[in-house]
Amino acid sequence: MYPEGITHHPSPITRSRIGVFVCHCGHNIAGTVDVERVAEELSRYPGVVYSTHYEYMCSDPGQELVKRAIKEHRLTGVVVAACSPSMHEATFRTAAEEAGLNPFLVEIANVREHCSWVHPRSPETTAKAIRIARAVVEKVKGNHPLEPVRVGHAEKCLVIGGGIAGIQAALDVAEAGYEVLLVERSPTIGGHMAQLSETFPTLDCSQCILTPKMVEVARHERIRLLTYSEVEEVSGFVGNYHVRIRKKPTYVDPDKCNLCGECEKVCPVRVPNEFDRGLSQRAAIYIPFPQAVPSSYTLDEEACLGLEPLRCSECARVCEVGAIDYDMQEEIIEEDVGAIILATGYELYPVENMAEYGAGRVPDVIDSLTFERLLSASGPTGGEVRRPSDGKVPKEVVFIQCSGSRDPELHKPYCSKICCMYTAKHALLYRHLVPDGKAYVFYIDIRAGGKDYEEFVARAMEEERVLYLRGKVAKVFREGDKVMVWGVDTLTGKRVEIAADLVVLAQAIVPSPGVRTLAQVLHTSCLDEHGFLKEAHPKLRPLETLTGGVFIAGAAQGPKDIPEAVAQASGAAAKAVALLSSPAIVHSPEVAQVDEELCSGCGVCAPQCPYSAITVEEVAEVNEVLCEGCGTCVAACPSGAMSLRNLADEQVEAMVQAVLEEVAGG
Amino acid sequence: MEVLSQVEIAFWPALADSKKADLEAMPKGYIDAALINGAIRTQENLEMVRLLREKSKLIVAYGACAHLGGIPSLANLYGREELLKAAFGDGWRPGPPPGAPQEDAPPELLPKALPLAQAVPVDYTVPGCPPPAGLIGEFFSAFLSGEMPPPGHVFAKVKALCEECPRTREERVLKKIVRPHEIVPDPEACLLDQGIICLGPVTRGGCSAACPSAGMPCTGCLGPTPKAGDMGLSMVSALASLVRAGEEGEAAIPSENEILDQLVDPIGTLYKYGVPDMPCAKEGEG
Repeated sequence: MYPEGITHHPSPITRSRIGVFVCHCGHNIAGTVDVERVAEELSRYPGVVYSTHYEYMCSDPGQELVKRAIKEHRLTGVVVAACSPSMHEATFRTAAEEAGLNPFLVEIANVREHCSWVHPRSPETTAKAIRIARAVVEKVKGNHPLEPVRVGHAEKCLVIGGGIAGIQAALDVAEAGYEVLLVERSPTIGGHMAQLSETFPTLDCSQCILTPKMVEVARHERIRLLTYSEVEEVSGFVGNYHVRIRKKPTYVDPDKCNLCGECEKVCPVRVPNEFDRGLSQRAAIYIPFPQAVPSSYTLDEEACLGLEPLRCSECARVCEVGAIDYDMQEEIIEEDVGAIILATGYELYPVENMAEYGAGRVPDVIDSLTFERLLSASGPTGGEVRRPSDGKVPKEVVFIQCSGSRDPELHKPYCSKICCMYTAKHALLYRHLVPDGKAYVFYIDIRAGGKDYEEFVARAMEEERVLYLRGKVAKVFREGDKVMVWGVDTLTGKRVEIAADLVVLAQAIVPSPGVRTLAQVLHTSCLDEHGFLKEAHPKLRPLETLTGGVFIAGAAQGPKDIPEAVAQASGAAAKAVALLSSPAIVHSPEVAQVDEELCSGCGVCAPQCPYSAITVEEVAEVNEVLCEGCGTCVAACPSGAMSLRNLADEQVEAMVQAVLEEVAGG
Repeated sequence: MEVLSQVEIAFWPALADSKKADLEAMPKGYIDAALINGAIRTQENLEMVRLLREKSKLIVAYGACAHLGGIPSLANLYGREELLKAAFGDGWRPGPPPGAPQEDAPPELLPKALPLAQAVPVDYTVPGCPPPAGLIGEFFSAFLSGEMPPPGHVFAKVKALCEECPRTREERVLKKIVRPHEIVPDPEACLLDQGIICLGPVTRGGCSAACPSAGMPCTGCLGPTPKAGDMGLSMVSALASLVRAGEEGEAAIPSENEILDQLVDPIGTLYKYGVPDMPCAKEGEG
């Protein structure tokens, strides 16, 4: 049933009783390494009492073989000569634990990635596998049984970003029974979704489906909403983050403000309204949109004529409820949280960067979010499409897709993913609102992968007779009251010249600028080359960062449409809840430790630590949860006070000796 | 502490009229404790310490030279012939003065200066150059009370000097390396942080950080802490960890190497007292 193992008496020199298990890994190892010989050589190695080989050690019968040997041969240590420890270390450690052996007395000798995969079949390759296995036997001889590190954690979640992803994540975590701190830097939650007119492919009114969720956030007893706030400092570690949040003063008491709007009318200041992408003006005291949450006015300190010294005070004069308080101070909020969800969202790549399309100097060349405001019933034109320059209804509109995307030479190399769909929606809604208008779409190819997406684009093309032109636009410029669009239709091979009334650029999606500062605050290099948040593994850990307890949701990770952002937010919330509901944070005990008898507190170690796990007072102290056991501090410690558990200098020396020892016939 | 009233001086060539013959006349184990200072440099040194070992119950390596080899052992970096030539010039051969018998010849130079423990088994060590009064006191109070620690004990701390150093560390980063005379060091701040190579982090405490307190770096006279291993290598490893030039990453390596190259006389700095402990010095001559 099982291959016959070679049994030996324990070595007289050492009391170790080590079992060696050599895996064939099908042909992966056995095709190159003489596994039988490795098992046989190792059976003669001091301290080894049992040695065998098997086709797939990680299979159930393979694990059974290990468990049985542990019991029958009273093994004090196990070496599995197989693949990388990142693959099956946990498998064999768990198996050993089931057989009553402390899991930290099990080690993997990597004879696949480090040997069979990188060498041809030869006696030297087998000899190398033998050396690797011997070295790991030496390591196991010096190993001590260990217990995993367990620490408690805070039962609260911080969500950064109040767009749809942050809202969804906050609601899901709160619904699961945990306290949530939702931080948003602008005066209201809602994010970009609040600016949209309708959503593809169902043409739901965006605000109509968003605002109920916003209200739910405002009313939820377990969500503490901090708008106009920024996370300033994050310290600590998974399960035990301490965060410091700065809340800017709004100078309006949200509990008193009744949204009468008198203040706004008397305010002498007018500045471009960000929510309407500059298409309208707002006062210094304003509410971004009527359904804003929290439902209160905000006094924009920058735009106000002057708070210190007070120059105007018109708003306070007319406020019947006395909600305006010019002495309001900024607030610092400090909280302990167990998990953090990053949902910082996106911005559009600036039109100013598009020199070929007028560099933002042609008023009737606008980006897609600005067009959303023109389409929106709550927008500056009340839902009538009127162009910015003269307020006329545009009769010919050109939509340019991939503006700034898929352009590695000049702009962003990646596909912004959602532009094909929202451009189809834009063209379709435009045709609804201006039935005699003409809509042209320049595209490279149409990417409509999603439920009912392809049908939606077809509807724009066929039912609404939107003219899709396959090709890139070379130049956009102003001529009289027209915007000239020069392009090429690559299907007919003809030059196309359109005298348009309005041009809408489907600008590339870029990460929100705040995410870079946030990455610094979190002491993590969690950004990819384009500045989006980087996931721990693109396929298997898409919602986690490499920093434990920090999760990702929404477009901060990459361009995403609403359903995808919402799904990811719920996923990140589930991850956070899994952490918050676990009885303790469990961490590997194979970390650095300080011999307090030897440590003089010289402090050489602390700045070396990439995880900021070391603090030095009288002596150095290692935070066992932060430490990842890299050993940088051990190398730096001048007095030998720092060591790695189960990787002491003596073990390393013995391993080196074992590697250098001759292999007969090798 | 009153010591002299409690002991009898059996043999002290530097102070009393004691000759080798007196020692030879003593029975085995006659001396309770022999405190020996200096490195073993000549054949005569070797004979003397072997004789002392025979006549003494305890041998104490006293001072940095007996403990580690000391400054005289820096000569181990050169061959014996080279040394004689450097000291006496060309054409000089060790031998008796003209016309004198062979027994009047100066004692033969050993190939290398040795710490005492490489010549005879040593029971205890009182380290230092010179041994700090406090540590001498520790030894005598243990010795006279009859409560000696286990053999092999070094009468100094197991923790490094930094523990007792009054200086404060701020940013643990090495941005430059200077020699003590090149700057006027800040009186409060850690010398290593200021670029002066101070061996405090690898050296046993026990002197109340006398040198750093007085503005001079520790040169390691109390010897390495028990687990520091090779003192110089441990320090090199620490310096390599501390050195920073601009941004982190591989791009900074050339300029970081330049900073490390500013270390003048690495052996004289890192192994001032411990050349016999250097890994390369342990094999062969010179």
